Amino acid sequence: MTEQAAKTKGKFSASVSFNRQIKPRYWRLGLEFSGEGAVAFGGTRPGQFAELDLSGAAVPAEKAIPEDLRDAAKREVLLRRPFSFAKVESKKGKTHVDILYCVLGPATLRMTTLGHGDVVSVIGPLGNGYKAAEGEKRAILVAGGMGAPPMQHMAQELTAEYPTMDVIAFGGAKSVDDLPFETRPDQILKELGFYLREFAEYGIQSMVATDDGSAGFAGTVTDCLADWLGRNEVNANETVIYACGPEQMLAAVAEIAKERHIDCQVSMERLMACGIGVCQSCVVECKCDGDTEYKLCCKDGPVFDAKEVVF
Amino acid sequence: MNEMVDMMVEFGGMGLANPVFTASGTCGYADELAEFMDVNALGGFVTKSVTLKPRKGNLRPRIVETNAGMLNAIGLANVGLEKFIEEKLPVLRGRSAAVFVNVAGERIEEYVAVVERLANEEPIAGFELNISCPNVKRGGITFGTDAGQVKEITSAVKKASGGKCLMVKLTPNVTDISVTAKAAVEGGADALSLVNTFTAMVIDIESRKCVLANRTGGLSGPAIRPIAVYMVNKVYTEVAKDAGVPILGGGGIRTASDAIEFMIAGASAVSVGTASFIEPGCAVKIIEGIKKYCERHDISKVSELVGTLK
Ligand SMILES: Cc1cc2nc3c(=O)[nH]c(=O)nc-3n(C[C@H](O)[C@H](O)[C@H](O)COP(=O)(O)OP(=O)(O)OC[C@H]3O[C@@H](n4cnc5c(N)ncnc54)[C@H](O)[C@@H]3O)c2cc1C
Ligand SMILES: Cc1cc2nc3c(=O)[nH]c(=O)nc-3n(C[C@H](O)[C@H](O)[C@H](O)COP(=O)(O)O)c2cc1C
Ligand code: FES
Repeated sequence: MTEQAAKTKGKFSASVSFNRQIKPRYWRLGLEFSGEGAVAFGGTRPGQFAELDLSGAAVPAEKAIPEDLRDAAKREVLLRRPFSFAKVESKKGKTHVDILYCVLGPATLRMTTLGHGDVVSVIGPLGNGYKAAEGEKRAILVAGGMGAPPMQHMAQELTAEYPTMDVIAFGGAKSVDDLPFETRPDQILKELGFYLREFAEYGIQSMVATDDGSAGFAGTVTDCLADWLGRNEVNANETVIYACGPEQMLAAVAEIAKERHIDCQVSMERLMACGIGVCQSCVVECKCDGDTEYKLCCKDGPVFDAKEVVF
Repeated sequence: MNEMVDMMVEFGGMGLANPVFTASGTCGYADELAEFMDVNALGGFVTKSVTLKPRKGNLRPRIVETNAGMLNAIGLANVGLEKFIEEKLPVLRGRSAAVFVNVAGERIEEYVAVVERLANEEPIAGFELNISCPNVKRGGITFGTDAGQVKEITSAVKKASGGKCLMVKLTPNVTDISVTAKAAVEGGADALSLVNTFTAMVIDIESRKCVLANRTGGLSGPAIRPIAVYMVNKVYTEVAKDAGVPILGGGGIRTASDAIEFMIAGASAVSVGTASFIEPGCAVKIIEGIKKYCERHDISKVSELVGTLK
């Protein structure tokens, strides 16, 4: 029955191709899908995500666990965890996806012990993803902290699908050590440039902001965005802002976009028990005919029109 | 060796293809599950709770994970009766699994109204009454913790159910679950379902606030299984066996072994909830596992297992 048709989503096994630390708290995990999984994940859109079962992965050795996560390391992992993608590539019948993750608790701690050849159970691709529009001439990508992965994926997608589109990226974090990019601090400038490899590889210029001023623009990524918009001519009708990051940041980006009448899509994060739209745990409050309604982050999102979300 | 194990079970006046159900609230209305599970392979399917009017549910966070379990305080978010009939019921039509609509409310009249409206809908095999809800008329005392109310609501709904199977889902948050089980049977329940979640709390020690917006939530998952097995066995021996009322047992079931434990304790059928989040197809896998166990133990009919605790 449905088993025979090519699946657009489902539960698949992936094998780990690499797992490397890029910053004190950030790692990049490569997963390889073959067969049906390669087909399903080959069609992943930026902003879509997958649910990984990390319950069987080993806890790191005590000395490898950051002091502040020692208690968290004792917690068991029951539920799957949602992750978006930083890159998706299909070749020779396989699909390779990169997950960029931040070590925050029991599941992501366990994730660091995955090694080449390990098998991970993955459900996905899930959710809706960002939608680039025809006629859009400029895309502005805004990544706050852990919101970087889908922006990297978006950079990949936009340059492949819309080669003439003018794309720029903004990346921000608290401090230079928290930037989820593989860039040396001394390469970071205070202006747009090709110093973030994750964007430069697609010919995209980027700009970095750190709250403490330890690299790039001193301030939040949204301050940086507003500052840049104030100094540059942008045709609002032909521009779209794509953003991912903490909710406060998304609210600020939504405000900037609204003031300048620029379309804006934001990717929301919620705690998710199922990821497939059956449990109702992941609600996002949205405007609806003068009232509000709950939409599901995992199914109706995670990407929403910024105008729709009640922050 | 038995080549063929008879997986059929008698349940509340009907024959089910096998004893495995999915639990309310963990598989939606089956419409999202096509890629993950063959719903038709199940013995029974229980919908998310349906209330008379749509409910937005609680503020978030609505869930939090704990060791071997999770708390949820979804707040019965659902589309409401009318939209359920319009949008969800058609998807449930033609299912070979017995479809039970889980019904919730704040007043007895609301339960009755929902059941009355659905009593003649052909795809529905029966109802599961979620009585772990506060009764607004009785100052918010949970229907399911008071034997008098359990009997009253069961008999009121029974009259409206048009002869369809009426299953009452008991809350474990009581001193003696046999007392409420007995009340449900006296009220006319055709089957008992146990257990619902255990009221629990998780505190964020940094903010010293409850993690859930609702403060408390219901604990489910592997952590509750041994308590649920005990409660099923208690209700089976003290109430259900003599009354001839079948039990749908559940709480923390992840594997066939877990399910078999419940059947030995006295459950005629089993329900899989939280585990479906981790393995959406696990209920179907459990059916296969039970079959293999029966083969290994030379059991020709799975129903022979029920209540065989020595
Ligand atoms: C659609 C989506 C895409 C995501 N993509 C990525 C990604 O590409 N890379 C990445 O590193 N992380 C991503 N996340 C977040 C990731 O799922 C969590 O960091 C992870 O579940 C943490 O698990 P843990 O057991 O290590 O820590 P936990 O102990 O579970 O969490 C650590 C802390 O983070 C908070 N937290 C956990 N999950 C969420 C969430 N979903 N929303 C808000 N707060 C949360 C917890 O409350 C806690 O304070 C994504 C989340 C969603 C919903
Ligand atoms: C997210 C979630 C939502 C639930 N929603 C309902 C519900 O709407 N109605 C109901 O009667 N039970 C609901 N339950 C309870 C389950 O049906 C089940 O009784 C309970 O979780 C114990 O089984 P488990 O440990 O296998 O999950 C819900 C449970 C969870 C985890
Ligand atoms: S995570 Fe279950 S509905 Fe969204």
